[in-house]
Amino acid sequence: MIELKSVSKSYQMGDDTIHALDGVDLVVKDGDFLAITGPSGSGKSTLANIIGGLDEPDGGKVLVNEQDISKLDDKTLSNYRNHEIGFVFQTFNLQPTYTALENVMIPLIFAGISSAERKKRAAECLKAVGLADRMAHLPSQLSGGQRQRVCIARALANNPKVIIADEPTGNLDSKKGEEIVGILKELNRQGKITIIVITHDPSVARQAHRVINIKDGRIS
Amino acid sequence: MKYFDYLRLALKNLSRQKSRTVLTIIAITVGSLSLILMTSLVIGIRQSLIDQFKNLGAFNLVTVIKDPNSVDSNNLMGTGGDTSEGKMINDTTLTEVEKINHVAAATPIISVNIGTVRLAGQDKKTWPNVVAFDPRSDVFTVPIIAGRNLTTSDMDKVVVGSRFLDDFGYGGKANDLIGKKVILNSKMGGGGSGVDWGPPPEKPPANADDSWYKAQGNKGVDIEAEIVGVADNGTVGDGSSYINIAWARRLNTQVSWQQDKNQPKTGDQNSYYQPTMTLVKNDNFLDQGYSSIILKVDDTANLQSVASAVSKLGYGAMTAQSMIDQINKILTMVGVVLGVIAGISLFVAAIGIINTMIMATYERTKEIGVMRACGATKSNIRRLFTFEAALLGFWGGVFGLLISFILGLLAKTLVQKYGASLGNLPINNIGNFPWWLIVGVIAFTTFVGMISGLYPAIRAAKLNPVDALRYE
Ligand SMILES: Nc1ncnc2c1ncn2[C@@H]1O[C@H](COP(=O)(O)OP(=O)(O)O)[C@@H](O)[C@H]1O
Ligand SMILES: [Mg+2]
Repeated sequence: MIELKSVSKSYQMGDDTIHALDGVDLVVKDGDFLAITGPSGSGKSTLANIIGGLDEPDGGKVLVNEQDISKLDDKTLSNYRNHEIGFVFQTFNLQPTYTALENVMIPLIFAGISSAERKKRAAECLKAVGLADRMAHLPSQLSGGQRQRVCIARALANNPKVIIADEPTGNLDSKKGEEIVGILKELNRQGKITIIVITHDPSVARQAHRVINIKDGRIS
Repeated sequence: MKYFDYLRLALKNLSRQKSRTVLTIIAITVGSLSLILMTSLVIGIRQSLIDQFKNLGAFNLVTVIKDPNSVDSNNLMGTGGDTSEGKMINDTTLTEVEKINHVAAATPIISVNIGTVRLAGQDKKTWPNVVAFDPRSDVFTVPIIAGRNLTTSDMDKVVVGSRFLDDFGYGGKANDLIGKKVILNSKMGGGGSGVDWGPPPEKPPANADDSWYKAQGNKGVDIEAEIVGVADNGTVGDGSSYINIAWARRLNTQVSWQQDKNQPKTGDQNSYYQPTMTLVKNDNFLDQGYSSIILKVDDTANLQSVASAVSKLGYGAMTAQSMIDQINKILTMVGVVLGVIAGISLFVAAIGIINTMIMATYERTKEIGVMRACGATKSNIRRLFTFEAALLGFWGGVFGLLISFILGLLAKTLVQKYGASLGNLPINNIGNFPWWLIVGVIAFTTFVGMISGLYPAIRAAKLNPVDALRYE
């Protein structure tokens, strides 16, 4: 279970202070499928990154199974990202010189898993997203939808409890977007993985168990 | 994260920007190559000097010289004429020093007063350094390269130094020189004088004047000798030729026409004309003694104790050790200078690595963000980049060694082809690396790479992952 207690984050831009997050309280139960919506610049990504242990809040607490991750050292926090969280990005962020399989193996490298085991697990993950026949392809040889599936496979590699997808369908047409959401939904239903998805697309939000809307750094 | 994975990833990343990687490695290769060449040059010079000492058996020798305060002599074996002040070295000295503990053998050395030498039938003259020793004692190992060594019965025989091969037009043909005659010219004593060998000097005629004496003096005395052997002079040698000491005593004995002391002086003072003249012998040895005595010590370990025993007797003592110390001192200085030069090129190479790695961190900012999102720690990122930089250094070192190894092979074939004329250059030592140089060079360039990569790596590790992911 993830529990945010009056989490805030602000940026100083010259004389102005931008409150990216302004006292956010949120509970995400295990196995939840949460959609976060809101206008651009409202603080959605900031929230997701703080939950994912990629960003630190200025104030408040981020409790993951009752442990405050905002106070962890780099090693423990990295370990948390590695084992508990899987990130899916709007722009995929795949390594262009790596094959699909090699891209999926990246989190496993940092988990210290042996090369043979990495290959096996990465192949399983690619199979799970329907890319069993595209393992040796480079990202440039894949369609947008396929790239996003590689990205999901990479997020899945270390059996995370939570997948955080920041506008995963933002760069895809609606049909491909639906496929991606379908995969996420399936992971949530079958794999009991908590899904947090940021989206502008109402049809994506509709698939979630729960939708929260953020405006000016506050949940409205 | 496993260490092998750092290596794997680093190799993969380096191969992404092949041309840049290659250029950076070339820079380090040049740096390490200069480091290797300079080091092996110094090692080579040192080794070839020490080898030559060894060939001469110099590590078991103590040279007794007149001056107890003379620390260095530019003559390696102490065979040169020691004209310095000090206690005279004669046969009494010889028996004295022979009694010193651990002295296995001793030979007196005389430096012979010879002006020029030429090959019989040739006009070309050169200036020899003729050293006489006692062939009976086994102290003095003349490094014979052709013919034979001297024996005690050799009187008008000479072992010429290899330095003269080229002078006489016998380069590379030492054996052809054996049996040839050389003419040694001595100007001892001037007109009306000669040496105690061969026909007596021309007797001054009744009307002899200044010009006669001058002409006779300029002509000197020709002494014929047969070449029985050729000795290797090496690089450190003094270009000496060798003769038997018994013959040297004769050659150092001056024979001159002098007025009979019992005859009353007549005529005017400026005229050399004397009514009766007799041949007078004057053994220079009696007031000059030996140039030096070379002692052979039973064991190198006893070199110092013998040397100090000699000093106690009031003579100077020189050992190869003091020479080696001197050589080491000079070579250390040379090494430092060469090291600085090599250091500069390595420093430039290090800047190349820093530049390459900073560029890499810029290019891979987004990738760093992805890796952090995937669970990479700061130290994972730092090590990854440090590893890459270290690999650049490693390859630079390896290629530097490879190239110098090839250069070494080239040098060897050159030496084999042109042998003698290049022989004195220690270039055949290039590519003959001691294991510690191989390990040292690779370790050093790897270390230089690592150090150069440290700043870019720390910079990469410090990147905020969110900013890195947002970077375009
Ligand atoms: N590194 C930063 N420096 C300054 N302002 C930032 C930075 N990151 C985010 N912001 C600001 O914080 C606010 C929230 O950003 P973000 O969470 O990315 O919004 P969203 O994902 O909802 O579009 C925005 O106004 C953005 O400009
Ligand atoms: Mg966003």
